Amino acid sequence: MTEIRYRPVGVDAPAVMRTIDLGHHFGGESARACEVLRDIGFTLRSGEKSVLLGCNGSGKSTLLKILNGLITPSHGRVFYQDDEINPARLKDPILHRRFRAEVALLFQNPDAMLFNPTVFDEIAFGPRQIGLPDIEARVRHWAAEVGVSAHLSRPPFGLSGGEKQKVCLAALMVLEPKVLLLDEPTAALDPRSTGWLIDFLASLPVAALISTHNLGLAPELASRALVLGENHRLIYDGPIQALLTDMEKLAAANLVHTHRHRHGDIEHRHTHVHDWQ
Amino acid sequence: MNLDRAYLGFYLGAVFAATLIHDPVWLACGLGLALLASGRKAMGILRQALFAVLTFNLLISLSYILMAWLQDVSPWVTLIRLNLRVLLITCLTFLFIARVNLFRALDFSPGLTFVLGLAYSQALTFRRAQDDFRLALASRSLKPPRLIDRYRASAAAAAWFIEKALHAATQSSQALRSRGFFND
Ligand SMILES: Nc1ncnc2c1ncn2[C@@H]1O[C@H](COP(=O)(O)OP(=O)(O)OP(=O)(O)O)[C@@H](O)[C@H]1O
Ligand SMILES: [Mg+2]
Repeated sequence: MTEIRYRPVGVDAPAVMRTIDLGHHFGGESARACEVLRDIGFTLRSGEKSVLLGCNGSGKSTLLKILNGLITPSHGRVFYQDDEINPARLKDPILHRRFRAEVALLFQNPDAMLFNPTVFDEIAFGPRQIGLPDIEARVRHWAAEVGVSAHLSRPPFGLSGGEKQKVCLAALMVLEPKVLLLDEPTAALDPRSTGWLIDFLASLPVAALISTHNLGLAPELASRALVLGENHRLIYDGPIQALLTDMEKLAAANLVHTHRHRHGDIEHRHTHVHDWQ
Repeated sequence: MNLDRAYLGFYLGAVFAATLIHDPVWLACGLGLALLASGRKAMGILRQALFAVLTFNLLISLSYILMAWLQDVSPWVTLIRLNLRVLLITCLTFLFIARVNLFRALDFSPGLTFVLGLAYSQALTFRRAQDDFRLALASRSLKPPRLIDRYRASAAAAAWFIEKALHAATQSSQALRSRGFFND
């Protein structure tokens, strides 16, 4: 297992995002409603990086969309600094503009975010809306940071999955947000780009919540882990190091698995983690 | 014979009847009956159906009015009949979707259930993706998006759907083939 750098962010660091008793089910009040989040409460502090772990369907993407004020949670509340955040609250243009500039969400499917004619326009989309100065320089800077400078005049649709993800990241970073919500940002990246992303995120002075189901990568991305269980509750919130040795928790979250091992003539089975990379 | 299958038969019969009936009065009766059968959901289903057929009906109605005006005949009976019929069938369909578990209605045939599974998962994937495109634009917009941005976002979504649909169609036919649906 990788060496773990756990640097807890002081409890005195200001809270940027907070959830209280968050719960969500799709399908309204009908009998077919399906619960995807239950009793979720945590605080993200300024500058702190956390991973959001959970198996497929545990509700990671839904939680990130709620934190980004895109979905109204069925229960509970979300706060950004001192403001409650939900689609209704974001109808206030002043809060809306501040929140959208300061809290950015990278969607799991980068295609959903790309619609401008060229990569340049894609990255310039945010700054142009609020008339930031030096747009050209900003765009070129962030394109270089993520490594898509060569594609600036191409349409984003023809890029590879990993390149699309980088363009999206540049399009978010160009507004210099304070909170980054990243939904499986490493899913489409090759090992080299994954390494790059780890260093890139570590160098950013932002609070980040990064969803993944890749346990091997988690300690590289952050020092704190939030784990959504199969029961859609938050079953762990703490240092990632302690989590990685807690097989019971990991099994409850369906993040580890059991299968037979063969070593020569000996066969045995035990629960373990794969570094799928 | 389970209840869902009975409803399926009833639904198919009702839709067939709706295409045969020409008298607007009977079509209106049918609509009334369908809404009555919807119970507490009647208003929701009616609203949903109205929205769903609005553009289509408006377009057809307008062109029909134009045609009738050019030929100097009265368009009203035909118009009322047409609109009532489309609305009735749409209401029946929404009522059917709200009431019936299609999987149980088709459980007598593993083949049909399999095809339904393919179609259903695809419809679900597309609806989720459509939500994502909408939410992504909202998430990236610091001000209400301009018309051109909305237009570009929907064009990008449409292009994405077409590409995915073509891909999915290939995959579905492979899935069907591997289950022995085509014996060629
Ligand atoms: N728009 C929606 N309507 C209904 N159900 C939904 C919707 N979006 C997600 N779900 C359901 O909610 C559950 C959680 O979905 P979510 O996408 O949040 O999971 P996830 O943890 O991100 O999974 P993955 O690892 O596959 O990305 C799933 O069971 C999913 O089918
Ligand atoms: Mg997800």
